[in-house]
Amino acid sequence: MTDVTKSTAAPLRSFLSEDVIQVFYRLLAAFLICVVLSFLSESFFSLGNILNVLRQASLMFFIASGLTLVVLTAGLDLSVGANVALSACLAGTVIHHSGSATLGVLTGLAAGGVIGLLNGIMVTVLRIPSFIATYGMLWVLNGLTYWYMAGDTIHGFPSGFRQIGSGYLFGLPTPVYLLLLFLAIGTIFAQRTIWGQEIYAIGANPVAARLSGIPVNRRLLLVYAVSGTMAGLASIIFLARLNSAEADIGESLTLPAIAAVLIGGTSLFGGVGTVFGTFVGALILTLMLNGMNLLQVNANWQPLVTGIILVFAVWLDMKTRQRGR
Amino acid sequence: MREAAALPANPLQRIPGVAIMLGVLVVVFGAIAPGFLSTANISNVLVQSTILMMLALPMTLIIMTEGLDLSMGAVLTLTSLIVAIVSLATGSMLIGLAAAVLVGLAFGIANGWLVAVVGIPPFVATLGTLGVAQGLSLIVSDGQSVVGIPHSVRDIYSATLFTVPVPIVMALVSYLAFHALLYHTRFGTYIFALGGNREALKYAGRSPTRLLIIVYAIGGAMAGVAGLLMTARMNSGHPTAGLGLEFDAIAAVAVGGTSFERGNGWLLGTLLGVVTVGVLRNGLNLMALPSSIQVASIGVLVILALFLDGLRSRL
Amino acid sequence: MKNYHNSICAALTLLVSGTLATGARADGETIAVFTKNQTNPFFQTVRVGADAAAKALGAKTLHYIPTKPDSIPEQLSQIEDVVVKKPSAIVFTPVDYKAMVPGVEKINGAKIPVVNVTDRSAGGSFLSFVGADDYSLGLGTARYLLKTLGGKGNIVIIEGVKGSLTNVDRVRGFNDALKEAPGAKLLASQPGNYQRLQALQVMENLMQSNSQIDGVLAANDAMATGAIEALEGANRKAQVIGINGTKEAVDAIKAGKMLASGDYNGFVQGCVGTMIAIRSLRGQPVVSEIVLSPTVITKENYQSYEQPLDKRSCPSWDEAAKLGAK
Repeated sequence: MTDVTKSTAAPLRSFLSEDVIQVFYRLLAAFLICVVLSFLSESFFSLGNILNVLRQASLMFFIASGLTLVVLTAGLDLSVGANVALSACLAGTVIHHSGSATLGVLTGLAAGGVIGLLNGIMVTVLRIPSFIATYGMLWVLNGLTYWYMAGDTIHGFPSGFRQIGSGYLFGLPTPVYLLLLFLAIGTIFAQRTIWGQEIYAIGANPVAARLSGIPVNRRLLLVYAVSGTMAGLASIIFLARLNSAEADIGESLTLPAIAAVLIGGTSLFGGVGTVFGTFVGALILTLMLNGMNLLQVNANWQPLVTGIILVFAVWLDMKTRQRGR
Repeated sequence: MREAAALPANPLQRIPGVAIMLGVLVVVFGAIAPGFLSTANISNVLVQSTILMMLALPMTLIIMTEGLDLSMGAVLTLTSLIVAIVSLATGSMLIGLAAAVLVGLAFGIANGWLVAVVGIPPFVATLGTLGVAQGLSLIVSDGQSVVGIPHSVRDIYSATLFTVPVPIVMALVSYLAFHALLYHTRFGTYIFALGGNREALKYAGRSPTRLLIIVYAIGGAMAGVAGLLMTARMNSGHPTAGLGLEFDAIAAVAVGGTSFERGNGWLLGTLLGVVTVGVLRNGLNLMALPSSIQVASIGVLVILALFLDGLRSRL
Repeated sequence: MKNYHNSICAALTLLVSGTLATGARADGETIAVFTKNQTNPFFQTVRVGADAAAKALGAKTLHYIPTKPDSIPEQLSQIEDVVVKKPSAIVFTPVDYKAMVPGVEKINGAKIPVVNVTDRSAGGSFLSFVGADDYSLGLGTARYLLKTLGGKGNIVIIEGVKGSLTNVDRVRGFNDALKEAPGAKLLASQPGNYQRLQALQVMENLMQSNSQIDGVLAANDAMATGAIEALEGANRKAQVIGINGTKEAVDAIKAGKMLASGDYNGFVQGCVGTMIAIRSLRGQPVVSEIVLSPTVITKENYQSYEQPLDKRSCPSWDEAAKLGAK
């Protein structure tokens, strides 16, 4: 599965421009989708709708951004959805009992991070393939959440806290600021720090990476912990947005996040992809869903459309990469 | 990274995590779960596992080629609807079965084509066909169950052949067929090669593309047959009945010892994996443990099985 | 390891009681309660109701919930497993009212008495059916909203899960109520899948394409609260109704955010269904069908619904039998 001929010593420059080209194509695609939707639906190109799309995309992006790092190492984290659910429920409980939103936020982040760390330990120390380890974690987390919530809903949070999810700041939805912040952090981390480059190297060629002195296990622990913590962050935003937490909010979050990562150009084989690409992937998915809602596309057709887009995007990715060689 | 150890010629030399877990579960449940060891219950567990078995067998082959088929659950749902709709329209169970197998085959070939010809990673390709199959299921059924199907369909599930329930016979026959295919035909060696040593295939003059398409097509056809079992069991077709089963199949295959890399395949392991998952669920049901514990236990089982496996390969 | 100890204790207790409870006994009956999933708060109220009834009558409940929410194959497997165990009686909510018929027939074949609650099964024989009438709930709640609006305005419907019986009936009720009010205009009917987030986003999108929405008919409370969040976020106002009568909805009605909720009363359904099962085992008279009459919870009558779940007690049998009066 790993291409032996790909060298980890490739100059940083060519690494970056290949990915930049990919991101450019995707931005173009997103732009085209916007143009088409503006023609098809008169309500699409309004300020309100665009802001809604951005807010919805940011929810997806928080989960998908951490996931990107994991996929860059040729791994997978199937537990992110369940992570969001459990972290949201725990954070919600803390806010109710302590009255402090800050404590709640910290709880959500910590819970997500601990779960991520446990995933990382299973993958590195226990040597369990990430697919299975995170799949098993998914079930364990669901079990814990069902037991803890016992069918209940936690609802009713202070309005100051809820601003994080549903409020506006200088005209833009609050989550969008967080989106931009993490987009910047993620991109800088992946492209411009040594750790980021090491993560790419691990994905491209784990054996060579280890031989060249990269502490593979520690970096892997890091990426899974980050994925978990970002899920924790997402859980806070969900809590603030929905003003409630229930056991099943995570069910429908994982596969779309993975789809966003893949549509954004990150390869399952590792070593290729960008956080910005994931953002565009999330944007594309959200635009499609928004369009289908505005055009009142029958719910029966929606999974079909999403599936076709995913395959098409990845196919396009491969075609354009090959031409670059 | 795991050592690229060749599979010992005699699989018994390597007692995998799954066999240990199965043994432990059977002993523990036999002691504390009321009714576990009764004939009726054992028959139940085996019959309940048959649908999963029909998916896990071809999934083993696919995973051996370093692939994955995430669409199996959705295709199963669609084929089970096809069985219901076609047998309702024609009055014949066999025509319904044929239609289901054809539809399953079409999806399998599509998967194989996307993976082998177009070159899309199996995870993505099958995620795409999952969406298509799911959408089609909703469309042909308009979100409603399909009922009123001829009795010949449901009789499949409850009939017996020499006192053995027909589903178990079907699963057994499938297992033997796959076993023969994998271990006793040249095609089988090609499948091993597809996973571990694709270059060798080219030197042998075999096209990996065609072989891959056949492997995924087999998966689709089996989903078609499993669709008959599913419809027989529910005596109806339902647009969401089989969704998510592919993850159970993948977990059963992984628990059974087939690795995601390196083309190690162990069919008996898959059988044990499927039975282990079935035994766990059944035992927990009999003990009437809270559903949340059941859910968590499944996760623990999967993790534990692979952990044990990882331990053994490093000893 | 505490869970492990608890489960061993639970298992041993079951084993002992299982071996003792052979043959017909007046007390200590085991009632197996089947519900659809662990995630929807409604079914938790059904389970709590069942537990309360059993406790009051000196019987025991065992709960069977699919690990995958609403999974048909799993509920079928659970039925097969339960038939081996032979509980005294079964209280049954089918995951799907058509697909579960073979399962019910298996229960009938094993001669275990069974009561149908919540969703009416399309086949099989039952001691009784206890449920609410989704159609009249939808009709009644929608009528209340339309009356509040004076019979006119722009309305949107947020549907539940396509293909589920409750959804089909509730939405039918909504639509029939709309037909009665010619001044009301239906702008859109979109699915929210009974999920809060989805309903929120659907509502957001609908608000983009429709500048004036006066009323929202949501097929359950979770979706109604999602719609309310969307409205508040956009600083718009509309009357919103839901169905289920969950605590959250009652709070929202009290606060004036939600107009009304149709009382689906899972607690009472669980209570009465279990009571019927136990009474039948003890040779006491039962009623073959109890359909709870539709109650719309509004600002006028919410007080009686404010009581927390664990403090509630089941109605007495005489009260219960009267509940079915149409």
